[in-house]
Amino acid sequence: MVKLTERQSDALSELINIAFARTGAALSELTGHRVLLNPPEVAVYQTIELRPALAKFVPGDVASIHQVFAGPVAGDALLLLNYDGAVHLTDLLTDGHNPSAYLDESAREVLTEVGNILLNACLGMFGNLLNVHVTFSVPRLHLETLDELLASLTEGKTELHYAVVVYTAFQLRDSSVKGFLVIVLSVASLDRLIQEVDAWEAQQSR
Amino acid sequence: MTSRSKGFGEAPEPMKETSSKATLLNAAVLHWMHDLAAQGIVTTDNELNVVEWNHWMEEHTGKRANEVIGKNLLELFPELAERRLDRNYKWALEGQVRVLSQALHGYLIEMPAVSGEYGQASMQQAVRISPLSHADRVIGTLTIIDDVTERVAREAELQAQVEDRSRLLSSEKLARSEAERANRLKDEFLATISHELRNPLNAILGWAHMMRVGNLTPANAERAVETIYRNAKSQAQLVADLLDVSRIISGKLRLDVRTIDFIPIVNAAIDSVRPAVDAKGIRLHTILDPAAGPIYGDADRLQQIVWNLLTNAVKFTPTGGRIQVKVQRLDSHIEIVVSDSGVGISEEFLPYVFDRFRQADASYTRVHGGLGLGLSIVRQLVGLHGGTVSVHSEGEGKGATFTITLPLVGLISNEGEADSVQQPPNDEILSFDGLPSLEGVKVLVVDDEADTRELIREVLKGCGSEVITSCSATEALEALEQHKPDILITDLGMPGEDGYSLIEKIRSLPPDRGGDIPAAALTAYARAEDRMRVLRSGFQFHLPKPVDSAELVTVVASLAGRAYKT
Repeated sequence: MVKLTERQSDALSELINIAFARTGAALSELTGHRVLLNPPEVAVYQTIELRPALAKFVPGDVASIHQVFAGPVAGDALLLLNYDGAVHLTDLLTDGHNPSAYLDESAREVLTEVGNILLNACLGMFGNLLNVHVTFSVPRLHLETLDELLASLTEGKTELHYAVVVYTAFQLRDSSVKGFLVIVLSVASLDRLIQEVDAWEAQQSR
Repeated sequence: MTSRSKGFGEAPEPMKETSSKATLLNAAVLHWMHDLAAQGIVTTDNELNVVEWNHWMEEHTGKRANEVIGKNLLELFPELAERRLDRNYKWALEGQVRVLSQALHGYLIEMPAVSGEYGQASMQQAVRISPLSHADRVIGTLTIIDDVTERVAREAELQAQVEDRSRLLSSEKLARSEAERANRLKDEFLATISHELRNPLNAILGWAHMMRVGNLTPANAERAVETIYRNAKSQAQLVADLLDVSRIISGKLRLDVRTIDFIPIVNAAIDSVRPAVDAKGIRLHTILDPAAGPIYGDADRLQQIVWNLLTNAVKFTPTGGRIQVKVQRLDSHIEIVVSDSGVGISEEFLPYVFDRFRQADASYTRVHGGLGLGLSIVRQLVGLHGGTVSVHSEGEGKGATFTITLPLVGLISNEGEADSVQQPPNDEILSFDGLPSLEGVKVLVVDDEADTRELIREVLKGCGSEVITSCSATEALEALEQHKPDILITDLGMPGEDGYSLIEKIRSLPPDRGGDIPAAALTAYARAEDRMRVLRSGFQFHLPKPVDSAELVTVVASLAGRAYKT
């Protein structure tokens, strides 16, 4: 795990929390239910360390909403939910219109939209912070094992990559669904992000 | 000519060819998207003015491309802003890709569903809105609309099927558990019936065997005949009850209906249970309204009804208890109330009192015999007479009250008759040739039924054994201490403490107090699982009732380590 200083970690959490608040508000409006995202817990890992870090939270199949972003800062952004969590979240968001134990096409679409809102909020916030224009791919939903997912993230990447892992939970209708936001970046992109976080933090405390 | 156009103009031949091919291809792609795509495709510039409106859009919205091109999308469709969907275009212009799911939005632009067969008036849509960028700048937006109406309908159908299936599954489960319950009741009933039929058979066969051997004194021979007669009669009653139930179930029960006076019928029933009432020292109080009036019914069956209720009351009322029979006229009905100060009925069992094959106590330790058919027969017969029967009890130990109402008519009377008495057993000595001698073997026989106890005593005494008898587990434990018997023969189903509990207690005793006494279990419950349970609980042998004298002697000899006489 890459050690962020306490100040860096706090600043990054605060920035992501702003994006989360926006996501919560958007989902609340969309569903007519109050949706909150728990204050994020942020950690940075090398991609090869991701497996042990995530395995205990997502033991079975993983539902991931994946968007590739490109530009001066490039990488992969994902929202990860375990399968049951994905089913539960869809059920909560659609007022139980999908009370089955599996994800049909409509349920997958809902998850894709939710992931899209969250990833856009976070990446948009990073883009503004870094003052760079980032372009996004169309979001895709995958259902696979954690190993398959991690293999697809590291495939074809020879240089060292890092992952900003943000742990949170969606709170709605007296229920809670745990999830992870994972942003995979190159060393250079991560360095640049941390520099900007430092600058933002300095500006805030001025 | 600008340098740029000149540059293009001066391109080498192959490149020029490729480039013009690519241009042609791009044009073809655009053409395909416009004319042939099975999705709605809309592009706008960065001010959201429509640039492309494909044929699919024309077909489904009814708006021709030339009506919309150049016009602002949000002005063309003001409901986009009303539904706050315009923000998605704002975000697209900021470079974000937006996904709009059918489940959360229904549709982006309202269009009629292609056909009404999916139960949707509006086409259900899944939408992607993407920025179109050039050189790091967003220059427009691209909207792609998929018609998912059919998919949504299919998913709903699947969902309904899944729900149906799970409903079906749970109702199937319910039916299965109901069938299992009925099956269990039937098993319990069979075990009970085997017990109830074997018990009298035991005495009948035993005494008959002794009569055949022929060394009974005249007095004991008379006792033997009485015992056989009494037990055969009780068996006949069981069989009659069973036949009644069978007739009722198959709808073959015929009533010999006449106008009859009810009071004499009640009196006849009372007379028939009087000996049993007297034997138990029960006080029987009757309040019979002579003006109760004639009813229309089958005299024999009506007497059977009253007799069943009375024998039930006698059975469940302890010595010194009280039974009251009251007959009175109530409007157009006659009411018969039989109340007792007996064991009462628990609240849980109350709803099942009139069920066939149901007894509150189906355990081995049950105190009261019978098949649990009497009250079921009462209900059926009362029903056939157009009446009702109900039961009331304040709970266990608080007595029970049965109330029957029967409709009144006519003015002629009729009577029936009754039976049933209990008598004490007797003693006798006999011997068996060819069987092992049990000389000097002290046997403790435990059974709550005097007839069986006496029979076994006679058989074993006949082979020279010394026999001590006990009628309960408690008495047996005392006898074990006092008489130090060599062998134990015990019944399993006894009131209070049963044979299993007795052997458990004995096996926990040290050897010098009889803890390892060889033991055989005697029972009318003769199923395989009963035998297994017997052997597991510390008995060496299982003797099914009715017991065969030779088998009994052989088992005792074997337990005592004796061989056959040569």
